[in-house]
Amino acid sequence: MSTDVFKKKKVSRLFVAQNAESVGEEQRDIALLKRLIPFMKPHTRLFVIALIMMPLASLAGLIQPWLVKKAVDSVVVQRSPDALSNVVMLYAGAIAVEFTLRFSQTYIMQLGGQRTVAGLRSYVFAHIQRLGLRYFDRTPVGRVVTRVTNDIDSLTELFASGAVTAFMDIITLAGIIIFMLVIDWQLSLITFCALPPLAIAVNLFRRWARVAFQDIRLTIAQLNAYLAEQVSGVAIVQAYGRQDDCADEYAEINAAYRDANYRSIRYDALLYSVVQSVSAACVALVLYFAAVRLGWIEGGAESALYVGTVVAFYDYIERFFIPVRDLATKYTIIQSSLASAERVFSLLDTEELDAPKTYPIAKDENDKSAITFSNLSFGYHEGRPVLEDVSFSIQPGERVAVVGATGSGKTTLLSLLLRLYELGDPKDEASWPGEIRVQGEELRSLTREALRRRFSVVPQDVFLFAGELRENLLLDESSRSANDDRIWAALEQVGAAELVRARGGLAAKVDDRGSNFSAGEKQLLAFARALLRDAPILLLDEATANVDSETEAELQEAAEKLLSSRTSLTIAHRLSTIERSDRILVMHRGKLVESGSHEELLTQDGVYARLHALQNDQ
Amino acid sequence: MRDKMSDTEATTDGVELKTFVQPYRRSLIVGSALLLLTNLLDKAIPWLLQQAIDGLERGDLEVMKRSAIIVVALAAGLWIVRTGSRVVVFNVGRDVEHDLRNEVMRRVHRLGPTFFRSMPVGEVMSRATNDLAQVRLFVGFGALNLVNSIFAFGGALVLMIALSPTLTLWALLPYPAVVFIARFFGKRIYARSRDAQSALGQLADAAQENLAGVRVVRAFSLEESEKERFEEINQRAVDANMRLVVLRGVMWPVFMLVASIGTLIVIWKGGEMVLNDELTIGKFAAFNAYLAQLVWPTLAFGYLLSIIQRGRASFERVTEILDAEDEIEESAAPKSIAGRGDIEVRSLNFAYGETPILKDVSFHVPAEGSLAIMGTVGSGKSTLAALLPRLIDAPKESVFLDSVDVTEARLGELRDAIAYAQQEPFLFSTTVRQNIAFSMEDPGASDAEERIERACREACVWDEIQLLPKKLETLVGERGVQLSGGQKQRIALARALLSEPKVLVLDDPMSAVDAKTEATILEAIDRAKEGRTLILVTHRIAAASRADQIIVLDRGHILESGTHEELVQIDGVYASMARRQSIETELSTL
Repeated sequence: MSTDVFKKKKVSRLFVAQNAESVGEEQRDIALLKRLIPFMKPHTRLFVIALIMMPLASLAGLIQPWLVKKAVDSVVVQRSPDALSNVVMLYAGAIAVEFTLRFSQTYIMQLGGQRTVAGLRSYVFAHIQRLGLRYFDRTPVGRVVTRVTNDIDSLTELFASGAVTAFMDIITLAGIIIFMLVIDWQLSLITFCALPPLAIAVNLFRRWARVAFQDIRLTIAQLNAYLAEQVSGVAIVQAYGRQDDCADEYAEINAAYRDANYRSIRYDALLYSVVQSVSAACVALVLYFAAVRLGWIEGGAESALYVGTVVAFYDYIERFFIPVRDLATKYTIIQSSLASAERVFSLLDTEELDAPKTYPIAKDENDKSAITFSNLSFGYHEGRPVLEDVSFSIQPGERVAVVGATGSGKTTLLSLLLRLYELGDPKDEASWPGEIRVQGEELRSLTREALRRRFSVVPQDVFLFAGELRENLLLDESSRSANDDRIWAALEQVGAAELVRARGGLAAKVDDRGSNFSAGEKQLLAFARALLRDAPILLLDEATANVDSETEAELQEAAEKLLSSRTSLTIAHRLSTIERSDRILVMHRGKLVESGSHEELLTQDGVYARLHALQNDQ
Repeated sequence: MRDKMSDTEATTDGVELKTFVQPYRRSLIVGSALLLLTNLLDKAIPWLLQQAIDGLERGDLEVMKRSAIIVVALAAGLWIVRTGSRVVVFNVGRDVEHDLRNEVMRRVHRLGPTFFRSMPVGEVMSRATNDLAQVRLFVGFGALNLVNSIFAFGGALVLMIALSPTLTLWALLPYPAVVFIARFFGKRIYARSRDAQSALGQLADAAQENLAGVRVVRAFSLEESEKERFEEINQRAVDANMRLVVLRGVMWPVFMLVASIGTLIVIWKGGEMVLNDELTIGKFAAFNAYLAQLVWPTLAFGYLLSIIQRGRASFERVTEILDAEDEIEESAAPKSIAGRGDIEVRSLNFAYGETPILKDVSFHVPAEGSLAIMGTVGSGKSTLAALLPRLIDAPKESVFLDSVDVTEARLGELRDAIAYAQQEPFLFSTTVRQNIAFSMEDPGASDAEERIERACREACVWDEIQLLPKKLETLVGERGVQLSGGQKQRIALARALLSEPKVLVLDDPMSAVDAKTEATILEAIDRAKEGRTLILVTHRIAAASRADQIIVLDRGHILESGTHEELVQIDGVYASMARRQSIETELSTL
């Protein structure tokens, strides 16, 4: 359905016309609902109980007009106070039962709904844990968070007031028809004459409303996108004095949005009112034909017998049209829930997995080195290599530093070693060639846990989780067994014990992202964290952050202790770290250009020597 | 377009919702009249029912038939009147929302960086979406139901008393309980929905943290323990939601129960009255019908309270944008600028709040001259660039364009004269053409095409645009192609050049580009500075050395100034940067 939002009377500044997709919306809706079923399954019992209660609750409600009929009969026909008080007792019973059933039904259904949604949320979160870094490089964090929170939350509406109540409504409608037929089938059939035209009207309005609804969805998306961009780019709008043009363009989309809403309001109001009026017309039909029939058949003799029937019919007709009237509202709720469901499921359909599969690559028993890169090439985009034909190996106990200018591929080296990005497919000739072995095993032959267990990582930007300091030091399973003595020993070793004591010990509170710790403190804590993990290989990405010289000294000392007598690969920015390494790898534009000790490299007078000169100049 | 708010300038003492509803006062009155009529017609139906049933009991079938025909006529009338009332009142809600939205946009355009630091995009958006929707509900749905409930309740009550005052007293017996129940639930639902909201907030925090720390999570294989942690918070959210759901789930049945008890009493007492011939059966039936009409307005009152509360709170949040102070105001008697782009800065001091950014900065760039501003991160160079076109407000008597103090200049003219390109080029997610033509006064002009091409060529980006899938019509950003940093820089430069400014201010156009792109941008700068004044913020010596004069900023004050040759001679910061960069250049050519 194309929307003529923008009448081209002048050149648009930023607006680009778009068409709404409208193909097979109903099929899409059903497909989405089907995907929810697996998440509802664990709570089948709750849903079954709720579904059984529904017709019972309906029955308890629908028996009430019938009891009113009985009451009328008891006073008009039988004229017996005893019969009346019997009916009153029954009525009291019916409302008590209805109250109990309605409440329990709602509660149980909602419990099922909440649990279903919680299950889906955990599932989505677990899926996010499986996604590769490539996905997060591309997708803003806020968007993923919205999927997990608001989008999933709006699914609860399906259970609270959407699809489920629609089901309840159908049962109620069927129940009313049955009650009416039982009380007086002739009058009922005449009353139902009003239904086919109503059905046609409802269908017609619904179709118009759907078009209006699509326009609304399209224009509101455009409005929001436009405003968001105006806020982000406000300096540009102001710098070129385009405020009025942009405001006018926005006003035009805004007017289109309002007009689409006008239409939707119109159809909605027409539908709502026609239902109310048809309901009144049905009452008229009942009155008129009751009179006609009495006149024909009984000559009006026993007319008092029918008083109760008319009263009950009035009540049933009222009840019949309430769900029909609320149809449009429910449709809107279901639509917006399904729109959320669609976004959630499309996140689940994202197949960019972290370390997606393991390949059967044999272990090289002869490779005794800790890490071996063989002829490795890699790039984030096809045809744009970041690493080219890199080969080197690190022996157990060796301390290696990688140096190179920004963009030389150092960080990629580290990311690949942890398999945060996927290397080429070993069976596909056309993909990136080369391999990386860790302790003789190709990393693509290992599960991500088995691989990552072998490394202790100190990242450049230390990330502390909100919570206690202790949890932050003992991040993973392997170190969680550490007792306080070991933790303090590690803290002492990297010189962080004092700062922890000043904060009140291991139970000290860590704010969101560790914002209550300085960059230097976070580094020290990360060193301790790496020590406690005690994996065979240490990977250190030195921070470049500006710290004062005193902290700098502390950090260097701590790094020294961490690196001594350990297999380590450091992305180095500090001279001391570099110079005291057993070996230095010099990366330049994705290639490994030099390798050797500090002295060897200086005498070569190559890239390293020049980088060294650069550093000293600072 | 019914745009009645366009003339409303921000009032000094805060915007009120009244101001926005005012233009639609007449619609609201018409709507209320229609609602009154709807209720009158609606209330007539049970009255006719009473006559019909009494007729039925007596065996007077003609009365029944007549009543039936009148009911049909009423139903037809009701359809029209009820549709009208809903359309009129709900449209007002949309109108007010529409006007508020335009007003928000107008305010956003007048606000500056200080405001957006305190209210980031997400916050602005949440006010423009969720909060506006609440305000609309308040004005449309809230108004309709408030008026309707009063009419419906009042009408039903009067008619019930007319039918039987005694029975009315009996029937209303349970209704005082509604007030207490409403208050009971109202308070608790408010508290519990706050808890549920905060549980959702905790879920968001947990997810946010997990994603922000994704590298650590992966490196340390924390996926499992993260899942457990999340599971726990998730469970807490379910519990909090359930506590709310129970309350909501029980509230409606309780209200229904109260209504049903009313009906029960009427059947009982009313039945007795009919038996004692104190009431006709028709009146009994009509009474029941009126009682049923009370249920909805009663429920609506509870509902309305929360809509009104939320609507008001939301409007408060919207006014945080509407009432925000202008950061840049045009002088009361703005001066025109006539000249060729002579820029002078005289002992400029500038601070963000308490933090001084620029200290005693002075320089003079004659028309068609050029100046490079260098300095480390945080030295104040970007602030200085933004002060020139008054995107940030400069103190009086410190920045002059063609001898006119920028704070006294006509704002439109000032910004026409000075084109400014940000450090991180901002491109709108539209076509390349619209992005470039954004700076044109008259994008519909017949020579627009040539001018766009000329600007693109000047910015050295024309050839690359020709390689894009749809050339100038290619969409930029998520829905189109992802441009490289260098391409964005040059498209932004073309945009700046297209406005044919007297002064071009470029904030670090080479902050994140590779060596090849750098060369292209340098070429573009060389072309761009012909015939205009150029102010270039940069950290690259290769760029700075092309300028007539260079200043080096350090923590807000000018450390060194002079030509490239002079500064190399001095052998200070600039000279050392020059040496480093020449080594780097040498390295990159290896």
